[in-house]
Amino acid sequence: MTAVELHAYVRETFASYAGLSQNEIIERDLTLAQIVARSEKMNNSLDLMEAFARTANALRKTHGVRVRLPTFPLDTPISTVLQALAEQLPQEASKAS
Amino acid sequence: MSSTFPPAGERSSLIDDYISGREVEIAQARSDERDRPRVMRDLYRVFRDREMTLAEVTWHQHRLHEWRRWSAVDMIDAIDLARLSKSDRVYLWNAGRAELTTKPGADRLSRLSDQECRLWQEKDPALAAVMQACGTWSRYWNEEEAYHETSFNRLAAVAGMPQVDDETFIEFRKIFPDDDMLRTLTLLAISEIVAATSYAGCAKGASHPALKALFQQVSADEIQHMQYFASFARALIDSGHYHAKDALAVAFLFVRDGGELYGSRRENVEDRGTHVNWWDTLDDGGDVDRPQTIEKQRAMIFTLVRQLTDIEVTSVDELEEAWMDRVGC
Repeated sequence: MTAVELHAYVRETFASYAGLSQNEIIERDLTLAQIVARSEKMNNSLDLMEAFARTANALRKTHGVRVRLPTFPLDTPISTVLQALAEQLPQEASKAS
Repeated sequence: MSSTFPPAGERSSLIDDYISGREVEIAQARSDERDRPRVMRDLYRVFRDREMTLAEVTWHQHRLHEWRRWSAVDMIDAIDLARLSKSDRVYLWNAGRAELTTKPGADRLSRLSDQECRLWQEKDPALAAVMQACGTWSRYWNEEEAYHETSFNRLAAVAGMPQVDDETFIEFRKIFPDDDMLRTLTLLAISEIVAATSYAGCAKGASHPALKALFQQVSADEIQHMQYFASFARALIDSGHYHAKDALAVAFLFVRDGGELYGSRRENVEDRGTHVNWWDTLDDGGDVDRPQTIEKQRAMIFTLVRQLTDIEVTSVDELEEAWMDRVGC
């Protein structure tokens, strides 16, 4: 799987754990706080942290790729967070292949 | 059939037995009272195996609370204000404001505990009893934190620091939003670790022995609170209905790079709106050294993790790994 495909997997998986559509999160470039506010599955920072952890675990289990979870303030747009995760992928993707 | 119970002829022996039995009980209680009361552990088993009732556990809580009582008025009177340094005054000012947030925390814990007790009463009466024991104890926690808040705010005021205005007072009384009970108790335990180590640091640098004594007393109180929160949190995990991952998550939230442990030192401090995290509000005025406590706090949090979950971690990376292993996907 290419890094682009892995990035798409991360977006889709996180959206699923957040209980929101990708369109809603990505197209509006919601902040982390806005994602928590709109999600029916998440109430606070801990829930958000867990959603990212599950996403990272799924990536590791399904594609053998390991990423570290970055720390960002709640007013960070999701695009910034996803970019930080994506920057870890090409290196890992090449290791996985 | 006799009109009295027990029949007259039997009465004296029954009463004698009762009196001698009570004498033994009273002697035992007095003997126990000479021993230093401690925070009870293994609470879930205690209730599950019916070793003690809620009333008996409550008495034990009260004995410990009463055994530890101290006078805020006496301790403040012993402090020579003229000898307080700038650091002392800044520490007192910060401590008084921080302690304002404890009352809403204790009020919330009391309400949540009773709510959880009712939820578990049919499914797991032992767990319900743990929740009720927690809610009952919260009245002592509330009272003890009142001593801290009023002592520090009073001292800061008479030492010439800016008084807490009504607007700030009300702001700092905002109530933390509800969360899972295990997360709540773990967060409270960690909050007490941060407070206890900070006060120990303040005591170390205090310029007057009576102020040092006050900071040490408050630090000891916070350690006792931490022990209680840890005991209740452990009981929740022992019940099997609450999962270690949630305790690990809270610990990781604090110790990770840029985590809550770094408080107001962080470049970005969240404006929560709904509540005030006291560790985000500390202001050293720019030229007062804060007690250096991060390493100690981290070590104590790792110890807390072991006490709650039996999971041994010695680094942030190990904690993260342990947490993520249990989160699953």
